[in-house]
Amino acid sequence: MKTSVRFFIVVCLAIAAAAPSRGQEEVYLKVTSPGLTRVMIGLPVFTSRPGTDPAAANNLITTLRKDLDETAVVGVVPEEYARLVEVDPNNFPVTRQRWRAVGAQFLLDGTFAGAGNQLVLEVRLWDLTSGEVAYSRRLQGTVTLAPTIAHTLANELVKLFTGKPGPFLSRIAFVSDRTGNKELWVMRWDGSEAQQLTTHKSIALSPAWSPDGQWLAFTSFLRGQPQLFLLRPTQGTLKSISTLPGVNSSPSFSPDGKLIALAAGEAGGTDIFVVPAAGGEPERLTHERTISTNPAWSPSGRQILFTSTLGGSPQLYVMDAEGANVRRVTFEDKFADEGAWAPDGVRIAYTTLVDDQFQIAILDLRANTRTVIPGPGSNESPCWSPDGTMLALVSTRTGAKQIFITDPAGRPKQITFEGNNVQPAWVAQVQ
Amino acid sequence: MSRLWTNKPLALMFCALVVLGLSCAHKQAVVAPEPVPAARTQAEPPSGTTEVQPEPTISPAEHPEGAVTAGELPSSLEELNRAGYLKDASFDTDKSELRPDTRDILAADAAWLKGHTTVKVLIEGHCDERNTEDYNLALGWRRANNAKAYLVMLGVPADQVVTISYGEERPFATCHNESCWSQNRRAHFVITAR
Repeated sequence: MKTSVRFFIVVCLAIAAAAPSRGQEEVYLKVTSPGLTRVMIGLPVFTSRPGTDPAAANNLITTLRKDLDETAVVGVVPEEYARLVEVDPNNFPVTRQRWRAVGAQFLLDGTFAGAGNQLVLEVRLWDLTSGEVAYSRRLQGTVTLAPTIAHTLANELVKLFTGKPGPFLSRIAFVSDRTGNKELWVMRWDGSEAQQLTTHKSIALSPAWSPDGQWLAFTSFLRGQPQLFLLRPTQGTLKSISTLPGVNSSPSFSPDGKLIALAAGEAGGTDIFVVPAAGGEPERLTHERTISTNPAWSPSGRQILFTSTLGGSPQLYVMDAEGANVRRVTFEDKFADEGAWAPDGVRIAYTTLVDDQFQIAILDLRANTRTVIPGPGSNESPCWSPDGTMLALVSTRTGAKQIFITDPAGRPKQITFEGNNVQPAWVAQVQ
Repeated sequence: MSRLWTNKPLALMFCALVVLGLSCAHKQAVVAPEPVPAARTQAEPPSGTTEVQPEPTISPAEHPEGAVTAGELPSSLEELNRAGYLKDASFDTDKSELRPDTRDILAADAAWLKGHTTVKVLIEGHCDERNTEDYNLALGWRRANNAKAYLVMLGVPADQVVTISYGEERPFATCHNESCWSQNRRAHFVITAR
């Protein structure tokens, strides 16, 4: 058995190596834009070799289809059309033509295999226009990992078309009061599999992920005064990271993960500080002793966005990461807070006030534009998806405070339902 | 859809990257957009086998050593607090400055504290719900410390008073209008030692 599996792997490697590599590193759709036609992928019934666990294979395909259908850039040819395609095993050009006739631009061809509790999937993505293999991949894992294999594949397919992996392994940390206390929770990006991370029966606030998805920084009243903690969700480890006088709130990791910006300060003032993520002495970046809070590191690591009452009302400011060159960036808002820098470094989502209701607005630093995205109820705490194509936000449009995500076309979808759920923080993958 | 098909899939490149339609163009601060390192489009060699690892198990946080769980206050302190010797200071919306009536209340509090030098107090800064959580935490911190500063100015020893902010997290009244909001904008006095 072992020998045959090894032989099989060798064969597959040979196939993969023989497949034309041109196009494998090509990005098919560099940008996304709302309202565009999606790239349609034909998904035929995959071949199953002897030894394949049929339930796991079925689970994988169902998950893959669901994942791809949830993106705005990729779509799967509906099953009722796919069924119409008559495959001619000896004449690929004809088969290709038939897939194109039902709207497919690409064809994902796959073969399942397996031995013991292992599930193996070998796929090739054919560009139906050129007839070439755009991507080929061999994924393997235990049968229980079928959904994870599907998420991994879906992430890669999206990356092929956008240059950035899909959101299918991403998770959102948030604060929920559903148990009666504000505790930290984490869920998949679609709201499924919500898990409680803290049971401190205290107040947890403002979670922020380390860029590698290993640590969550957050504020807790666990020891009386608000302090900043680091939590490793995969291990349950909890470390104290800042016990400065004041609020110790609003952490933001630098893009290299080495530093954490936070808000704190003695005698009623709140300023921006930076503390090494590995622990150490905090350094004070602002010295105004008014209210400066909600720091957000720029994707380049060179600047820090923050909220300040320097000019009276809370407005957004940007400074160099060392604290110099403070300049205001919002001028048209009565109130601006919770600035979140998009991964592109160009857009800033933030919370503004329109007719006494919070609304999300987006500043584009390159185009010099400000766009308010009005929605029913109060809308706040915007947070970008790791690829910058979606936003998570908190809205009262259905009553209590709930987390919504918007797809790249801006359509909001409620993903929490129990209690109040606030302060979303989105990470590509928990490590 | 077929008109999109050309020889090259590059024809699928569409226009601008914008999450939501940008229509109005207003003047903004002159902040140059940050140069972002070019996106790595070089995918890892997709051939070969990837051993898919299980996604990590997520477990709840442990209780750290020395975690303080709120104990029962001695009944004498409870009685002391219930007696209302110290009055709370209230604030205007989004303000941490002391109003004249607030100063009068704090002056009476200061006089009582100076007459009871063994008493320790905790001043809690509270806010209504109409700001973001983190901003309110900072605003409550300001309110509590402004109240303390006034007491100290009137001669109360600084070490007799400790401050904390609860922001909007511990409201006194939970309705969503001014009748509750005004109650929630306060510096609340808690006697912690006799």
